[in-house]
Amino acid sequence: MNQPEKAPKRPALTEKLRGLYDRLFRRGPGLTATLLALLLMIVLQCVVIGINEGSFAGLFPKLWRSWMNILRNNAYTGIIALGMCFVIVSGGIDLSVGSMTCAIGAALMYLLDPAAGLLAAVGISGVPAYLIAILAAILIGFAFGELNGVLITYGKIPPFIVTLGTMKIFRSVTQQLTKHFNPEIPAGFKQFASAKIGGQVILPILYWILIVVVMYLLFTRTAFGKQVVAVGSNERAARYSGMNVNAVKRRVYAISGVMCAVAAVIYVARIGSMDFANAGSGYEMESIAAVVVGGTAMSGGKGSLVGAFLGMLIIGVMNNVLNMLGVPTFLCDAVRGAIIIVAVLVQRRDKAGD
Amino acid sequence: MELSVKGICKSFGAGNVLDGVDFSIRGGEICALLGENGAGKTTLMNIIGGILPADAGEIRIDGRLVSFPTPAASRQAGIAFIHQELNLVNDLTVYENMFLPAFPHKGPFLDRRLMIDKTRSLFERLGLDVDPCATVDTLDASYKQTVEIAKALMEDASVIIMDEPTASLTAAEIERVFGMMEKLKQRGIAMIFISHKLDEVMRICDRYTVLRNGTLVKSGPVSEVTPRQLASYMVGRDVSLTKQHTPAACGDEVLRLEHLSDGTHFRDVSLSVRAGEVLGVTGLLGDGHSELFGSVFGIWGSRYTGRILMDGREIRPASPAEAVACGLAYLPKNRKENAVIPDMSIVDNGTSVTLTAYRKGPFFDKNAQGTVFAGQVDDLKIKMSDRDHLITTLSGGNQQKVMLSRWLIAGPKVLILDNPTQGVDVGAKEEIYTIIETLASSGIAVIVLSAEAQEIIRVCDRSLVMYHGELVGEVRGETMNEQSMMYLAAGGSKSRPAAQGGTADKENGGTLT
Repeated sequence: MNQPEKAPKRPALTEKLRGLYDRLFRRGPGLTATLLALLLMIVLQCVVIGINEGSFAGLFPKLWRSWMNILRNNAYTGIIALGMCFVIVSGGIDLSVGSMTCAIGAALMYLLDPAAGLLAAVGISGVPAYLIAILAAILIGFAFGELNGVLITYGKIPPFIVTLGTMKIFRSVTQQLTKHFNPEIPAGFKQFASAKIGGQVILPILYWILIVVVMYLLFTRTAFGKQVVAVGSNERAARYSGMNVNAVKRRVYAISGVMCAVAAVIYVARIGSMDFANAGSGYEMESIAAVVVGGTAMSGGKGSLVGAFLGMLIIGVMNNVLNMLGVPTFLCDAVRGAIIIVAVLVQRRDKAGD
Repeated sequence: MELSVKGICKSFGAGNVLDGVDFSIRGGEICALLGENGAGKTTLMNIIGGILPADAGEIRIDGRLVSFPTPAASRQAGIAFIHQELNLVNDLTVYENMFLPAFPHKGPFLDRRLMIDKTRSLFERLGLDVDPCATVDTLDASYKQTVEIAKALMEDASVIIMDEPTASLTAAEIERVFGMMEKLKQRGIAMIFISHKLDEVMRICDRYTVLRNGTLVKSGPVSEVTPRQLASYMVGRDVSLTKQHTPAACGDEVLRLEHLSDGTHFRDVSLSVRAGEVLGVTGLLGDGHSELFGSVFGIWGSRYTGRILMDGREIRPASPAEAVACGLAYLPKNRKENAVIPDMSIVDNGTSVTLTAYRKGPFFDKNAQGTVFAGQVDDLKIKMSDRDHLITTLSGGNQQKVMLSRWLIAGPKVLILDNPTQGVDVGAKEEIYTIIETLASSGIAVIVLSAEAQEIIRVCDRSLVMYHGELVGEVRGETMNEQSMMYLAAGGSKSRPAAQGGTADKENGGTLT
């Protein structure tokens, strides 16, 4: 049989998909294991839902609702995990994210409160007030992150110590300042996160996905992203290459701060209140877990933002399944801990086999 | 006590590192073990120290045949090996280090009193002025060295092997170590002194043994040789190599250093280099040439005195980033630690200096980066299958070329290459030399730092020699041969200024003409 002439044809859809898959999941640390883990969790989730519902027909609506909840509830930590991913790839760590989110949330409320708020006092209200407040929150996040970064680079203090310290400082100062403060959030501001689209509260999810895309581009498509990898991979070589290592590090912590600010804005707009003693606590561990489950090495240099996103989803689905299974609350953390360790163990194996 | 080895052979893979070497030493004697890098000195000592097994040959102590399958066996027989990188634990006290790893106990606890007393009495006998309770961290390098020697005595050593004990010491510190060695000599201890520094050998040693390419070349009493002769035994040639390198025409002066000092590693260094010139700066490891140019490149901030002039204008880079902006480029030694970014691709490594230059709007322009790098791949003949593979997949020679490319893309005026052929195989070495010559002919001022005389002769138009942080001479043309460089680098011009026919003149820094 005659073979048809090889004509330059457009790549088939399968090839395009394959290329996309390679770009998203195979570059840097391989994410195949992470993807499989996510699929496994979803299968488990389907089985549990199927058993609970007792019928196949009930599966999909329930699954849809579950996923809406998972995405919505993990948007804050998911966004914070993206900043954390930058920090960890640069070879550092940011333990202050939870307290930072809480502190920024408190500041936001101070600005917005219709009765005692700062913006109301100067006569600004409505949408302009909301926008000013959001901008201010982001600037505060940037400043907090810069503070971490300056202490780490110019103070030459290890990131773990600096952010452990600022974690305590942000939290305690926030609690002291908000002792007699019962803020109220204008209904209009809540629309930023709570407005229903198609009958669903999906804005937090959209923000999260939008930020995943932006951060992904920043990480993979800019010189800055490459500099972060270089600094985390071999700081001395990066410095000897004429890179301004301190500037790169400061920027990385600033990004983490800004991500916390975004998370705080969504949190306040969605929940409408904040428990300043507890809000955001545990975010640092949750976001580090997401980053690590997503295949990023704690030693720096190797990392993936898509991985951090998938890692957050894995943790979200896992919580959902534990919840449905009725695992006693106290035991949930044990299961979470075990699954994080197993996920990393599987990746080790995966890499060793390369 | 007499230690003697006979017919020691050792090979790694295909290469013979030691080929039937004999060596002996008696109590109360200091014997110098000399040879170029790779001559087999360290291997021989590792065999005596029980770190490596010999393939053939015998070791005798007082005529009795012994074998050292482990370092512990060697130590038990009274042989102590003091490595170049000291084995003291910095965060422990001196007395704790003296007894490491077998601490004396009193019940379940360490017997601190006993350790301190024993240490103190030993130090008194040796006239060593160190507080046993001080943390090792707080001691300077020479005291650490003497503490390590004292530790050997604490373990009742009768033979002490010292691997370049003075490599990182200043002149005054060396005196302290030498004083200690004299005392030990009187106590009947035998010492094997490995060193590259001929003046030190002439001063402290009784006998010498020279190894070259794994064989014994010459041994005898130090009183019967001159440093010159020792240098030629080590190099193995009396005649200078016929130089393959022809100096190109040089342009104007580009970089000038005036009285540069950092207080510890280099002192009062002045030099200048012209466009299109390949200047060598050589010296033994630790003699300051790396530190000097690291400082010029701003690695340790601007902690130096003196002036750096670039095209006649003073610069004072406080960081590598500033140095790059001034038109300097610096390929550091120890590629793996200082240059390779292991988690990045070949192309990213090859363009790491200019990463911010490739942009299309807010985004990184991968195509522009690829095009620029592809030019270097052709010029430098970098062999690879895919530039997006990790840098670590390349061989040493190709990795080094990628490191070079990152600097060439930046278009520097002065290119500083520290040990450019380190960890590079012979073939790629020659290619790198050719690249250096091409770069110079294109008008870049190239500075090659190397401890290998042959390398300097192969690529450089002229070379400066450093000894203990000072420029001690310049070689060019006729005088650029291994012997004269070895002579200068080993401090020959300092030890016997008059004995060498007046060639070494202190006023002009000992220039050999």
